[in-house]
Amino acid sequence: MFWPVRPFTMKTIAEILKEIRPEFDFTTSTDFKADGMLDSFDMVALVAALDKNYGISISGVDIIPENFQNLETIAALLRKNGVQP
Amino acid sequence: MISFRSAAEVFAAIQPVKAGATDFCTNFFPDKKKLEEWVERNEMSGESRAGALFLFRRDRDFFRLFFCAASPAALREGLATLPNLRDERMVAEVVGAESALTGILAGLEAAGFHRYRQLQRMARPGQSSLPPVVGAEMPVTLAERADAPTILNLLLGAFDRYAEQLPTASEVESAVAAGQIFVVKLDGALAGLLFFETQGMTSTLRYWLVTEGFRDRHVGAALMRRYLASQSAVRRFLLWVIASNDNAVQKYMRFGFAPDGLVDHVLASAPIHNENHR
Repeated sequence: MFWPVRPFTMKTIAEILKEIRPEFDFTTSTDFKADGMLDSFDMVALVAALDKNYGISISGVDIIPENFQNLETIAALLRKNGVQP
Repeated sequence: MISFRSAAEVFAAIQPVKAGATDFCTNFFPDKKKLEEWVERNEMSGESRAGALFLFRRDRDFFRLFFCAASPAALREGLATLPNLRDERMVAEVVGAESALTGILAGLEAAGFHRYRQLQRMARPGQSSLPPVVGAEMPVTLAERADAPTILNLLLGAFDRYAEQLPTASEVESAVAAGQIFVVKLDGALAGLLFFETQGMTSTLRYWLVTEGFRDRHVGAALMRRYLASQSAVRRFLLWVIASNDNAVQKYMRFGFAPDGLVDHVLASAPIHNENHR
């Protein structure tokens, strides 16, 4: 099946994060884990949301804390999966 | 059997499994600091198989099993080759919806694990209303160093060591030093305690108990109020509770916690299963 790959912006990534954890403002943090905003279970939910929103399939090997540290690292992960800003 | 001398060695052992993965699956999401402590205390060992790495953490008189596998099939094949899996006291935990874990749970059950407990996560927004205060005011204070052995004994007596990840003596001492345990002392005895961990804007309530003889005196409510009030910067409170413990679930709900949909399946090997079904 062909999935169209949508472009991303930092704003759309932050909106997706906000849907998962509405109590936090992800634009204010550079380390989501240290700030208690995202745990390993949230990461799994985030991967599912990113897959769905951008029509990609993030590999299990990439589900590591370093890739979900902040908006920049998530953007890098999306780029790695062929999603362009 | 692999013996690990550092957390870095554990992570390095996982890499070859990740590199060849088609449908990587794991129940190993370690906090680096905790992993370093486990390695330092010689609690970590491992077994490597084609497409899978199995990690064993000694926890008192049993082992906790963690796995990293290239696919659920590789997990199943690797589990079948592990020595003594049916004879050792071992616990494996897998978090997620049952429907998403079919292959993993089936693999563990095929290897001789039995469903032991199910925990559910409950969450509470930082700013939630509290039930009205009832009863006399209680003297809630932070635990002191001298309280640590009593606290550990109370935890060991009240909670299930297989399902509820009980702390070691040194973890209790560290928590006391960090101001993470509130207590109520009445009549010279420790009447209740509340043990928590806060990371940034999230706080996890780990254990909350009132000792026998002090129940129905609102000790637990006083501890909970003090805890919630002390975490003014926290935006999300979390806890894990045995899903079938209706009494505890109801108490948490009174303080604004609600199930958030995350489930932890705790599976135990035959010796543990058998000792609970005698």
